[in-house]
Amino acid sequence: MSVWEKLTSLPREVVMGLVIIAMLIPALSPLGLPLMTGQMSQDWYDTIEALPEGSVILFDIGYGSGGYPSLGPGTIAAFHQIFENDLKLVIMATALEGTLMYPLVMAAVQPESNYGAVYGEDYVFIGYIAGTQTAMAGVLGDLHELVTNDYQGNPISGMPLMDNVGGADDFAIVAYVTTSGDVAEGWVYQAYSQYNRDVLGGTLSMMTTSIKPYYDSGQLLGIMDGVKGAADLEFLTGHPGDAIVSSDILTFTQTLVLIFIAVGNISWFMQKQEGSG
Amino acid sequence: MDYKRDIPLAITFIVGVIAIGDYYTGIEAVTQTFNVIKNWGIVLQGFALGLGAVNLFRVHGRRLSARKEGTDWYFSGWLLLMLVVFIGLGLVTGEYEQGATYSWLYNAIYLPLGSTMYSSLAFYMAYGAYKVLRARNFDAALLFITAVLVIFGNTPIFPAIYPGFFHMREWIFGPIVSGAYRGVRIGIGIGAVVLGIKTLIGMETGYLGRR
Repeated sequence: MSVWEKLTSLPREVVMGLVIIAMLIPALSPLGLPLMTGQMSQDWYDTIEALPEGSVILFDIGYGSGGYPSLGPGTIAAFHQIFENDLKLVIMATALEGTLMYPLVMAAVQPESNYGAVYGEDYVFIGYIAGTQTAMAGVLGDLHELVTNDYQGNPISGMPLMDNVGGADDFAIVAYVTTSGDVAEGWVYQAYSQYNRDVLGGTLSMMTTSIKPYYDSGQLLGIMDGVKGAADLEFLTGHPGDAIVSSDILTFTQTLVLIFIAVGNISWFMQKQEGSG
Repeated sequence: MDYKRDIPLAITFIVGVIAIGDYYTGIEAVTQTFNVIKNWGIVLQGFALGLGAVNLFRVHGRRLSARKEGTDWYFSGWLLLMLVVFIGLGLVTGEYEQGATYSWLYNAIYLPLGSTMYSSLAFYMAYGAYKVLRARNFDAALLFITAVLVIFGNTPIFPAIYPGFFHMREWIFGPIVSGAYRGVRIGIGIGAVVLGIKTLIGMETGYLGRR
């Protein structure tokens, strides 16, 4: 077997083993490689910055444990920015596991100790609402008719924040971070098309192509594009976290993938040349 | 009269007309009525979740009791065990909302498993890119060039070194991807409108289930 033949058919174990090594090096020793903030994340950041103090944001945690490594850091960075700017948050979950992501995000943000935020006045978590687009329509239509208690079971009617929020008109913006295509597009249909609310969307990188047309047409004002978008937001908000470390890992692994693609093509081409020669 | 068919069709028609009325007329009474219907929908979805859990017990309970040779019936057993553990823990401790024990169980078992499942894709994508992305012919060469440019644009360090990589990716995502995707979306949209009209007037009955 020639060298080119061997390089054309590297065993799966070798490829995956090298990917593990490429992941481990920056994970164990973060290098802080430079990154260029993308326009979509910059727009997300600028949109939040432009909101007047006290504006209410409806934020949907639409992912579970599978999406947390990619989308959790971005959610944390977004929450830091929101609390720093004295904005109010009504948080809901369109993913069943979103209720279990909420404490993880809040443990990292710590709004009470870091920003002096008060639950019920500055933020409220209304929990998981079944039905995806029906849930979105319900929350934007008549929130109090749909939700009477927050996730802890406390009545929302007595909460200062919730007394001023009844539906779509009371939200300055709707933001979501999700692994679901239905949720990603659903918010555009329900919040933008139905109620003309501004919308910010966060998804996995592989889903960005499907929601980018909404960004190009102005139906989404900004996109948090997976780990890269999360790293951008961490950088922009000045709260470096897991996403910036992950962007080093991305750099290593994706460079390795490029090397594999090059090796695969060169060896395949050379093998072909040898065969025809 | 076929009640099993006609009553759901009548409900669909009435709800559909109210939904359209809410969107296009904005009459307060219609909006209020539709809000009530949306809330019913959400309650029904909640029931569907419960029904799903019951169905899991039925399907996997059957697999477990049959224990057929060559089937991975032990996974069914593990699924049911975990289902019972999580439900039992929630009911016994009353901590089904944000209890420490419940959260610990989730964070210690499910969170790492879920993350691992998803992350393992990276290995297969790397191997797939190595094996498949080969410029064997003109079509494959186009895919190869596009993929390489997108990877260059998506890898954080390359645009930081040379912003042109980022703009190339943006160009691919813009005129090429968005243009094509818009065409797809418009097609889907027209199809959805046609399906909606057919459902509303009772020509489409697939949602009633197998009959």
